[in-house]
Amino acid sequence: MSIPEFGASTFIWVSPFSNGTLDLIDKVAGMGFDFIEICIEDPASIDTKRIVERLRSANIRALVCGAFGPDRDVSSDDPAIREGGKRYIGQCVDIAATLGAPMVAGPMYSATGKVALVSPEKRRQQWAWASENLREAADYAASKGIRLAIEPLNRFETDLVNTVEQGVDLVSRIGRDNVGLLLDTFHMNIEEHSVPDALRRAGKHVFHFHACANDRGIPGRDHLPWAEIKLALADIGYGGPWVIEAFNPEIREIARAVSLWRPLADNQDDIGRVGLAFLKTVVGKQTI
Amino acid sequence: MFKYSYDALVYAGEPIEKSIRRVAKYGYDAIELVGEPDQHDTAEVRRLCKSEGIAVSSICSIFFGAERDLVAMDKTMRHKGISYAKSVVDFAAEVGAPTINLAPSPVGKTTPVGSKEAEWANALESLNEIATYAQKSGIRTCLEPWNRYETYFINRLDQAVALADAVGHVNLGVMGDSFHMNIEDEAIAENYRAAGNKLFHVHFADSQRAAPGKGHIDFRPIVQALIDIDYKGYIAFELLPAAADPFATLKSGGGTEFLDEYTALAIKTIKAIEAEVRK
Repeated sequence: MSIPEFGASTFIWVSPFSNGTLDLIDKVAGMGFDFIEICIEDPASIDTKRIVERLRSANIRALVCGAFGPDRDVSSDDPAIREGGKRYIGQCVDIAATLGAPMVAGPMYSATGKVALVSPEKRRQQWAWASENLREAADYAASKGIRLAIEPLNRFETDLVNTVEQGVDLVSRIGRDNVGLLLDTFHMNIEEHSVPDALRRAGKHVFHFHACANDRGIPGRDHLPWAEIKLALADIGYGGPWVIEAFNPEIREIARAVSLWRPLADNQDDIGRVGLAFLKTVVGKQTI
Repeated sequence: MFKYSYDALVYAGEPIEKSIRRVAKYGYDAIELVGEPDQHDTAEVRRLCKSEGIAVSSICSIFFGAERDLVAMDKTMRHKGISYAKSVVDFAAEVGAPTINLAPSPVGKTTPVGSKEAEWANALESLNEIATYAQKSGIRTCLEPWNRYETYFINRLDQAVALADAVGHVNLGVMGDSFHMNIEDEAIAENYRAAGNKLFHVHFADSQRAAPGKGHIDFRPIVQALIDIDYKGYIAFELLPAAADPFATLKSGGGTEFLDEYTALAIKTIKAIEAEVRK
């Protein structure tokens, strides 16, 4: 099996990503990452032409991740907000296609931070809206050659899709080949009986992977079973990148959902640099 | 051997008689009661516990809402919080519970109101007053950190130790809940160990807050750490359904596995581990 590639999320350093923060592309490339995962908080701030130039000169590839605030909710009661969600996913798809990114990833079934106990009928309705709207979004994405990777979040960030089981359920209801899952170890640590087993159960549906510490600090300075996680990903034939996602205190679009109250590393660079060195030792053992 | 307790929090709303009988039935030494003094008839609690042969291990204070905020910038509000904590101390004394937990800032308050320094100073003053008051009744108080989604104030056990040290009261220690620690702490067992003789109380729950045995926390090194630091308190299980608001789930009739099934499983799992570790 080939050596996995690695990525770093722009959320580690900036919010929102814009022309003012293009230097981050060089920085992430300089750290030795293969991918920079660009988080689209404000599509208007994304200047694809300039980003493409910078990607080329830095010799690094782009991934695209969405940030789903309250106006971008495909399972909202409000039809205008559902449309807003679909429109936003479409914008992310267009950006991904222009940047040469293979997919759009994120918790695109709801607004991040929306947690409530709702009646079974309302829950069924939310699932129906999510499935229907994401199917439409998936068809648009397919027309541009883009895949969608849906991310389950822990119980404190969403009430709709918390586990791999629910994620696979949503993927099958959408019923499109270009739809799969983004699985993130931070959320899985809270919700799954066993992180490696959950990865195995997700199997071929795993389109994308976030390698995060249990506290979203530096990967490796945590209690996650990385050797077993690596074996599980190898078993299911996951060939995509391992992306480190963390957040900085300036985060805006989904600030409350992220709930970052204290620095989780001495500086944000350590999350990328020290985290990457650690993850390389984890996967290195697999290939030698 | 450790003493075991089960937190009645997840039995939300059922008659206390039923809760005490259930906990006794599954071999617990004690029950942890919810810190709502007005909702308990302390004479009845004493009578029921005596007839079932169990104790009250602890009171789980409910720091929720602006009137239970020990770091509140408004002095009147802060005093309401302190009065609440004192009422929990009195409740503990009446039912013979040796320990109560304290949270400086209420659950669900995730934005500071005052500056970090001002809120910290308020915490020191409030906690010192409560610890002093509790000492007169022989009740120990301990700080509980919660995960980032429930509070911004203290999230990790070492932050709780730092706050307790800053207060510097002999009657104020810390407690660690394995569910929160699984999210926030880099090394759960080592952080319990590092708390040493400041560790007055312990909540166990598995990674997804179900009974130990249902998730992926390895309790062996944790139990070993408790033995190594000569922990003399109770191991109390605080289990709750998987939701941002677990109480809404319970009110709507969900979470029935937390009654008999998990009450039985929690003690069984940890007692087996304790026996293995002590061998």
